Amino acid sequence: MSQSLDNTIAPSLSRGSIIVRRRLSAKKLRRFKPYLYLLPAVALLSIWMYRPLLYTFYLAFQKWSMVPGTSPVFVGFDNFEHLFHNKSFIDSIGNTIFYTVGLLPFSILIPMILAVVTDRMESKSKNFYRAMFFIPMILAPVSVSAIWRWLFHPSNGLVNYLLVKLHLIKEPIAYFSDPSFAKWIILLITGWKMIGFSTIMFSAALTGINREYYEAASQDGAGSFRQFVHITIPLLSPMIIFMLTMSILFSSQWTFAYIDMLTTGGPYGSSTNIYYEMYRFAFSSLNVGLSSAAALLFFVVFGVIALGLNMLSRKFAFYDN
Amino acid sequence: MKRLAKGALVLMTMSSMVWLSACGSESKATTTGTAAELGTLDPANPTKVTFYSYSLAYPTMKAGMEQLIKEFNDTVGKEKGVVVEGVADSTMQQYKADISAGKEVDVVQHTFSTLDSSRLSLGFKAYDDIFPKDELDEHLKGISSNALELGKIDGKMYGLAFTFSTPIVFINGKLFEDAGLDPSKPPKTWDEIKADSLQIKSKTGKDGFGLAPNNGWVTEGLILSNGGQVLAKDRKSADFGSDASIAAISMWKDLYHNGGSAPGSDAELMEQFMAGNLGMYVSSTSLHSGMKKASEAGGWKLYGAALPQFGDTPSVPVNSGSVLAVRPSDPVKTAAVWEFVKFVTGDRGYTIITSQIGYLPLRTELADDPNGLKDFVEQNPLYRINLDQLTRIQPVAIWPGDNATEMAKVFTDAIVKSVMADDDVKSTLTAAQNEINGMMP
Repeated sequence: MSQSLDNTIAPSLSRGSIIVRRRLSAKKLRRFKPYLYLLPAVALLSIWMYRPLLYTFYLAFQKWSMVPGTSPVFVGFDNFEHLFHNKSFIDSIGNTIFYTVGLLPFSILIPMILAVVTDRMESKSKNFYRAMFFIPMILAPVSVSAIWRWLFHPSNGLVNYLLVKLHLIKEPIAYFSDPSFAKWIILLITGWKMIGFSTIMFSAALTGINREYYEAASQDGAGSFRQFVHITIPLLSPMIIFMLTMSILFSSQWTFAYIDMLTTGGPYGSSTNIYYEMYRFAFSSLNVGLSSAAALLFFVVFGVIALGLNMLSRKFAFYDN
Repeated sequence: MKRLAKGALVLMTMSSMVWLSACGSESKATTTGTAAELGTLDPANPTKVTFYSYSLAYPTMKAGMEQLIKEFNDTVGKEKGVVVEGVADSTMQQYKADISAGKEVDVVQHTFSTLDSSRLSLGFKAYDDIFPKDELDEHLKGISSNALELGKIDGKMYGLAFTFSTPIVFINGKLFEDAGLDPSKPPKTWDEIKADSLQIKSKTGKDGFGLAPNNGWVTEGLILSNGGQVLAKDRKSADFGSDASIAAISMWKDLYHNGGSAPGSDAELMEQFMAGNLGMYVSSTSLHSGMKKASEAGGWKLYGAALPQFGDTPSVPVNSGSVLAVRPSDPVKTAAVWEFVKFVTGDRGYTIITSQIGYLPLRTELADDPNGLKDFVEQNPLYRINLDQLTRIQPVAIWPGDNATEMAKVFTDAIVKSVMADDDVKSTLTAAQNEINGMMP
């Protein structure tokens, strides 16, 4: 009996344990599954973003030329001290603010007006104009720089030729060698490229606005300006804040190519910005510690700005859900 | 809409992080060993040598440099088993980036002013340490001793003078004649330059003279010609804030602000001269082949003059150009690099460099050698000016230590500011001198 009891019980027990185990592993798998899905993204982010980011923080306190066979030497806060004694870096902060603020009309004001004006057009001409605005965005910075350099050439350039012919200036101006013009031209070129992208973004946002608001407003006697102020702008507010954030955080990056190709930061550092100085420290002076220290400061300052803009977005952006 | 904006914000933050992190990306570490003796080359299994050259990136010099590499590969290279691969490096940054990335960078056409910094941080080797002494001594015979001194640091040769020139005044014969001047009797002093320049401008309406404030090296000749110096003799401090230097730069400022010198960067002035719109332009003879073509295309004749002097004192030009800096990784590579160096700085090499590009033959006797450059120099008398200047030449400043690139930049920026802006020359130069002295090792 006991034998048979053992025999009958034993198999059922083992079957049960398998079922329990299976249930357990299924449960484990279910719990584990989300992490499994996240794994590729987490791995990629860690390898390509967070590890190098942390490594940059580490390098900010080292002296190193990046040459194989040499190793970084710990120097404490020396890099930060050098940074604040470096005249060209200090000058570049002012220029970075100049480019950041100067780019706002090109990324928000002008594109918003262009988007609203073209929005009322019939489909064919609307597409034509928007394509025209967008083309500068897809041109390669190198060819764009070459064309602008020809236009602004001191002796052979069209701009000087016209200005002299129209008696607006007496002598041709060397725009890229003149500190009072160099950074304005860089700003103009970057802005000119930026307009197309922003116009497309604002146009996309405009198509999302319900037409009934405008009909209702016009029946109440609101003119097109009042409609723009009281309907278009509030409903575009998420896009406005988004473009504001983009413009502020990326202005240094967008101006970089033109600084490098047209002025290399000159004359005497009057057109450089923080990004260009970081690049110079790392790849011209081969001082990766100094460059990382600048990158770390840049990260902190722009991180705070990004958080501020995020809060601004929560407070002011109006979503028509 | 809300999602779009939020998603884009997240994306943006991430991409800015990626950019920032790129600055700190780690490179693979490989150790470069030192070769004490030459290895054996095998023609059946050729050794590849990479040659980073800025001349390869300039339209006026590219063809000549390519011919130099090709001729080596087709002759000595084929026979001994070496293949040289040219890498165009227009901004002289590529070789630094590639060395940092662990790539094999064997030979670099390196400028003088930052050689010390590269020696310290990029692993370039002294010729005396890696090449056999007897072969080296034999090869250096016949090269101008002034030129050999230029690549030496602390008594060791870290670079062998390769492409080399002195500044000369290129002259547009047509504009001179249109202004009633004789291009065969060019101005000798800075006062004459100013007078002729203003005369060209008033008679032809075109700019008379051009020397770009950001030229980087002619400036040093200007300072030396007036009795000043850029770097102290012991290379321990900057010394361009003296009265002689200030007087030289003030003269230039006067020329610039009174319409005697055309505005624009070095590249813009070169284009202006080549387009036939500038009477005189000071630059390196390495531009000769391009200038000559431009003058033939534009229907005007090219003349030249020596670097102008202050009063009666002969001018002191500095050299422009480059040395060959080497960093072979093993004895076989060293042997391969040595073959290439010997060819390009030998008789045939300099014949190509001078006749096809426009640099000076550092083996000066080639200029009188009928098998070398005798005919060429007779047809292009500008080279005589250059060869004459070689006797008065002084080396361009080699800024000391790790901060050489920064020092060179501070110096150039101060000169540009002194010449172009209304700022006081003395205070600008003194401030820059102090800044550089603060960076000295």
